[in-house]
This record gives sequence, C-alpha cells and structure tokens, in this order.
Amino acid sequence: MLTNSKSFRLGLATLTAAAAILAAMTGAMAASPRADEGKMILVARQDPGTLDYTKSNLTALRLWIPANVVEPLVYFNHDGSVSPGVAESWTISDDKLTYTFVIREAKFSNGEPVTVEDVIYSLNTMRESPVSQNSSAYQAVSSIEKVDDRTVRITLSRPSQNFWRGMGSTAGLIQPEAAAGTIATNPIGTGPYKLVSYTSNSALEFTANENYWGEAPAIKDVTVRIITDGTAGLNALEAGEVDTIPVITIDLWEQLIARGLDKSFTMVTYPQIGEPTYAVINQKLDPELRQALATTLDRQAYNDAFGASWGAENTCTFALPNQPWYEPASPESCPYPYDIEKAMALVAEKGYASIPLEYASLSDVPDLSLPADIMVPTMQAAGFNVTRNAIDLARYSQLIFQGRPPQFDVTVMSGDADPAQWACPDESQASWSTYCSVDYTQALADADEALTDEDYLALMKKAADILRKDAVIVPIIAKKGVGLFEPDLKGFLEPRVAVAIEFAPLHW
Amino acid sequence: MPIYIARKLAFFILAVIAASIAIFLLIRGAGGNVAAVVLGKDATAEAINALAQQYGLDRPMVVQYFDWIGKLLQGDLGRSFRTNESVADLVVSRLSISIPLCVSGLVLGLLIAIPAGTYSALYSDRPLGALVALLSQVGIAVPVFWAGILLSLLFGVRLGWLPTGGWTNWDASFWGAVRSLVLPVISLGLILGASLTRYVRSAVLDVMNQDYVRTARATGMTQMQALLQVGLRNAALPIATVVGLQIAELIGGTVIIETVFSLPGLSRMILANVAAREVIVVQSTVMLIIIFVMLINLIVDLLYGVLDPRVRLAR
Repeated sequence: MLTNSKSFRLGLATLTAAAAILAAMTGAMAASPRADEGKMILVARQDPGTLDYTKSNLTALRLWIPANVVEPLVYFNHDGSVSPGVAESWTISDDKLTYTFVIREAKFSNGEPVTVEDVIYSLNTMRESPVSQNSSAYQAVSSIEKVDDRTVRITLSRPSQNFWRGMGSTAGLIQPEAAAGTIATNPIGTGPYKLVSYTSNSALEFTANENYWGEAPAIKDVTVRIITDGTAGLNALEAGEVDTIPVITIDLWEQLIARGLDKSFTMVTYPQIGEPTYAVINQKLDPELRQALATTLDRQAYNDAFGASWGAENTCTFALPNQPWYEPASPESCPYPYDIEKAMALVAEKGYASIPLEYASLSDVPDLSLPADIMVPTMQAAGFNVTRNAIDLARYSQLIFQGRPPQFDVTVMSGDADPAQWACPDESQASWSTYCSVDYTQALADADEALTDEDYLALMKKAADILRKDAVIVPIIAKKGVGLFEPDLKGFLEPRVAVAIEFAPLHW
Repeated sequence: MPIYIARKLAFFILAVIAASIAIFLLIRGAGGNVAAVVLGKDATAEAINALAQQYGLDRPMVVQYFDWIGKLLQGDLGRSFRTNESVADLVVSRLSISIPLCVSGLVLGLLIAIPAGTYSALYSDRPLGALVALLSQVGIAVPVFWAGILLSLLFGVRLGWLPTGGWTNWDASFWGAVRSLVLPVISLGLILGASLTRYVRSAVLDVMNQDYVRTARATGMTQMQALLQVGLRNAALPIATVVGLQIAELIGGTVIIETVFSLPGLSRMILANVAAREVIVVQSTVMLIIIFVMLINLIVDLLYGVLDPRVRLAR
C-alpha cells in the first residue's frame, strides 16, 4: 500500500471535480465554533521534524516558532521602523561599529528571568549555527560582551547591514541557556505564546504566555494541525474544522479555485512567505551553453500551468517583491528571455545536441518536480540532448556534497530569497549550487558595508545584475505566500521575523 | 511437533538477522543523511559534515551496525537525531493509533468478507451471489485514498457528521479519538472487505467441490451444514494465510489512509523519517515490524499444523 505519487496526483485531479460538486451543495458557512472559545486552528502542510531553530532552517519550523514563542532582539516593521523585542532599547554608534542593547526586564515562558547571560549565549549559539542565514549575520562581529546586568555590547570589525537586519530575524532569537537541551521539542522564549506540545505529523499546541511582557493576545489557544495532504487540508477548512490555511502551496491553487474556496474564505497574498523558483544550471558548462539553456525557460508557461497568475510573478531577479531590489520580468531585467527559436539556432550552430545533459527533477517536492514537465520537453524541442532524472532531496543533497563536480546540469529549485546564499569567496566554499563568482561576492560584501539604505539598495541591485547575467542561478517566478482565512478571523499581518506567521494580531 | 517448532524458530532467528542487515543497508543505500535534511537546501558542505559527525554518522558502517544492533538486543531502540526523543516512546505513541486502526479495519473487513464471500460461493448461480462477486471486484479496483477522500467529503464536509481528518488523543477525549478513527476504519474495512471476499469465496468454492463435502451432502446435510461441519476447517487454511499477510501489510502499510485522514500513525512516522533519513528511527521501527510480521507468519505456520495434521507430519 505504498504511495504512488503519480496515481495519487491523478486521483486528486479527478477528485477536484467531485469536490467542486460537493462544495457547491454546501450551504452558507457558519462562524467558527472556536470564535467564542478564544481558540483558533491553523493548518500546516509540512511537519518540521525538529523545533531546533539553531540547527534547522526548515520553513515548516520558521513559520510557527519565531515571533510567537521565541522573539528576536528587535522587530523590523514594514514601514521601515524598528520596534523593541527582547531589547527594550538600543544605540548604534555613528561609525556603525558598536551596537549597545538594553535588555528588557522580562521573563521567559518557563518563568525564568531574561538575563544578559541568556542573550550572550543565544547570540553566540547563532554565531556558531550551522544554518548559514543565522551565522552569516555575525561575519563582521568581533565581540559580544556584557556591560552590566541589563546591557550587551556588540562590536563589529566593519559596518554590516546583515548584522543589524539579522537581529530582527532568526539570527537574533533569544532563548534561555538552561532550557537549550530541550529546544528540539520545547523551545522557550519571551513571545506572546508558549508551546504546550508538539506531536510530529499531528499538531503543535500553543497557549498564551502568562509571562509575556506585552499585551496579552486576543486568542488564547492556538493549534497548528499538520495536514500534509492538500485535499484533506481543504476539506478540513471547508468543513469548518480549521480556521485558516495560511500557506497554500502551488499544487492546491487549481483545486481551491475549482471548489470556490477563494470566494467563501478571505484570501490574502503576501510576498514574505513566498519563494523564488529558479533554475540552477551547472557552472561548469560553457557560459554560452548556459545562456542558451536559459532561453528555453518559459516563465509564462510555467506560471500559466498552475492558473495562478495572482500567486506568482515572472521575474529574472533573484528576489521577492518585498525586497527593494526586486524587478518583475522585463526586457531590461531579463538578459536571456524565453526564445525557443534563438535556442534552436544556437544548438544547431554550436553543436550542443551532441552534449548529453541531465535534468534533476526533485521528486519529493511537488513545486519542484512539476516544472520538469514543462522545462524538459522545451529543452528537447530546442534540440538539447536532455534526460530527466527523478531524485529525492536528501539524495540530491548528498550527491551535490560529495565534493566532485555536480553531475546535474539543470535543476529547478525554490527556497529562501536570501541573495547571500550564493556568496562564495572561493570555490572550496561553494554552496550546493556550485555557483562561485568573485564579482558577485564582492558586490554583496560592498552592500553589507553600506552606511546608508540608498547605498545598500544600489549595491544589491548591482549584485542581482551580476547574478542574472552569469546564467547559473536563473530566476523563473517569484511565488507569493497565499493564505485562506475564515472570514471572521481578522488581523493578519505580514510576517516580520523571516516567514513567521504571528498569531498575536489575529482576532475574531 | 517439537522438531517442527524448533526448525521454524531457527529459521525465524536467521531471517531476523538477515532482515536487520538488509534494512541497515537499504536505508543507507537510499543516500543522503539527516544532517543535510535538518540544515536545508542552502547549507554548506562543511556544516553538514560537522552535524553528521555530531550524530555519529561519520563512523564506519560496521561500527554503526553493531552499535545499533547491540543496543537493540538490550531493548534500546535508540533516539531520534533531530529531537532526541526515544524511538520506543515514538513507536508506542504511534501504535496507539495504528493498532486500533488496523485491527478495527481488519475486523470490519472480515465481517464483510466472511458472510459475503461464503454467500457468493454457496449461491454463485443466483443473481445476488453474482452481484456480491461483482461488488468485491469493484471494491478491489477502488483506490483506498479515493474511497477515503470521498468518505471525508461526504461525511465530513457535506454532512458534518464526522471529522474530515486529524487526531484527538485517547487521553484528551476517548470519543474524540473514536470519532477520528471512524472514517479511516470504514475506508480500510471496505477495501479490505472487498479483497478478502474474493479469497473467502474462492476458498469456500474449493472445499464445496471436494469429495468429502459431496459425501456429507449425500448423508442428507444441507449445503450450509456440510460447509460448517466438514468444509469450514479446510476453507480456513488459505483464509488464515491471507489474513496473516494482511495484518503484516497493514501494520506498516496504512500510509495512504493515515495521510488522507492526517492520522499520526506508525506508517506516516516511518515515511516521514525515511524522507528525513532518520536512520535509527527507521531501522528500529522497521525491525520491530519485521519481527512482528515474522512472528505472525510463525504463528500461522504453527496454526497450519493444528488445523491440518498432515502439514506437521509431512515436515
């Protein structure tokens, strides 16, 4: 009785029609029965497996724990202002080399007071974190020291935008040192909620933190039900068993429209939870061959295939619309736009048909296996000798990290919109993509050292331009986060701490 | 009989050792490691290797095997790399869902299959008998996930009588837990019932054509009396084999039902841990299942000897 993903998908497609008919028969929706009880149930599509955010970078974890349970030193708001978090105030020296944080007199959810030692421990843990997004914020940090019982001073060897922004993201999350041993199942923090229980593949249960330093949240009890099957998640929402699916994945868009759920529920789109989808073309291939391959990537066909133009934008920039250096696809921002005839001519002229190429299709991630259905036939139609190889993510990672030249010539991936992940001082430190560019890395370093926001933006645009012209990391679309909410559930705010969905602003 | 049992036990032990080696190599043969999964797509090779070292995954395979098997023999199933939770605790918590699901599904399946299969065999020349046979064929052809989702849509979304999915712990609400299991059990029971009906029908048809049944009928017994008095014990042999195999398949094979109804059972736990390359969790859990399946097979084998004396005499 093992799952056969192909027949499973086929069955789900068939079910869409049945679901639409049954949905049409359903009467007007009643308000959630949980509204009067001060409760709320959300749906998660993935099980985090571990809640240790110091070691894991999985979105399934970062959606729920940061901001709700564990807070950063500061919060970066969408209007550009900065609000206090665990730090109640801070000062930054004029040369942007010394940051002094005054820690608020607060308690963790386990009742223990927040100490400067806890803050120093947390920052040092993130500095040593194997998760690059966490540790990269500390590259310029030369010391973290206690000034007094409420003050921490951090000294930088050079100005760093990444450091300051990191203090409002997962890199700046503060935990009690004494509870670090149980972080994988019970992370502790100062947030408005505390974790009551985590049962893998089942649910995360939260309740309001009675020790929270701020205003108590409107909804006291929150359950995040882990429903990995998308149709089952939509069924639960339609049946009123859950109140929101705050992150809808691309494989469900067609079904939710067919069932009319975009009309009976409040739909929000927001870029923070989104991800860029991009092709990775082997950098060891000839640059002209890479550019020819890039011209076979039909962004519009990919976008159309899911009928979700409201959920994704075509782009040639490795960024999301909430990042200021983002640009939608245009003749100016796309050095290698889709042009099958040009690709065919190049294949014929350069004899690329004789070069065997391997397209790795990540079989266990629907968003990433589906593009192959469009991309591979297009490449073959252009004359490339491409074969498709299905592989799961864990195996792919192992092969990539074996230290030999990557055996995959093209892969479509999606992930964090952090451009720093492609920084590569030398080839020995290349990340899984194998992309390594001195110019790109320098542009990012220059941006990091920028003293003003204007300089930072200009330098990030320069870096994005280098990346797109190298035709190794080739952006295809920027997927926005899409969520469905019970109409009476109000107050949703776009994430402030990385991708975290904040429960506290939500109310009935 | 003692020699027969001793031979079966020796085979059981050898099979368990072979299975332990096979599962150890298979999960590693799949490639990848838990460190890479935990750290995500954008981790560096250096970070992955460091975390793998912390987990002890850099040790030689032989050392890892004997470390695991040594602890297993002492009753220590190990711990999850990611959460440090005890595998024994994880398995026990998941069995509290999987066992009621599988047992209830199988019982429901048998409750459907035994009367339906017997009826369609005894009255195969009647329209109702043919209809039962046809329905069992249709039931076999229906994918279990399709049946599950349709039941969920009808009884959960449309009628609102039962939850569409999810799990309420036994200690939180007994009736909540029972309600969580109703639709999964019905889905499983219907599909199992359909396939078991075919086996029951075939087994009953076989015995009803035997000389001893004909002789019994010649003494004046009705079809039903002949079946119950002389045919049933013989018909039970192939049915016991199939039921034994079904139990074995169910314990680790309800992944589709558990996924459709979002039940955190043993099958989903194994699947998730295979994807995460939690080798200790997978090895220990699968070993438990293998031992359980082999025990079931051993019991079925021994039961053959009881049900049919010719079996133990022949061996």
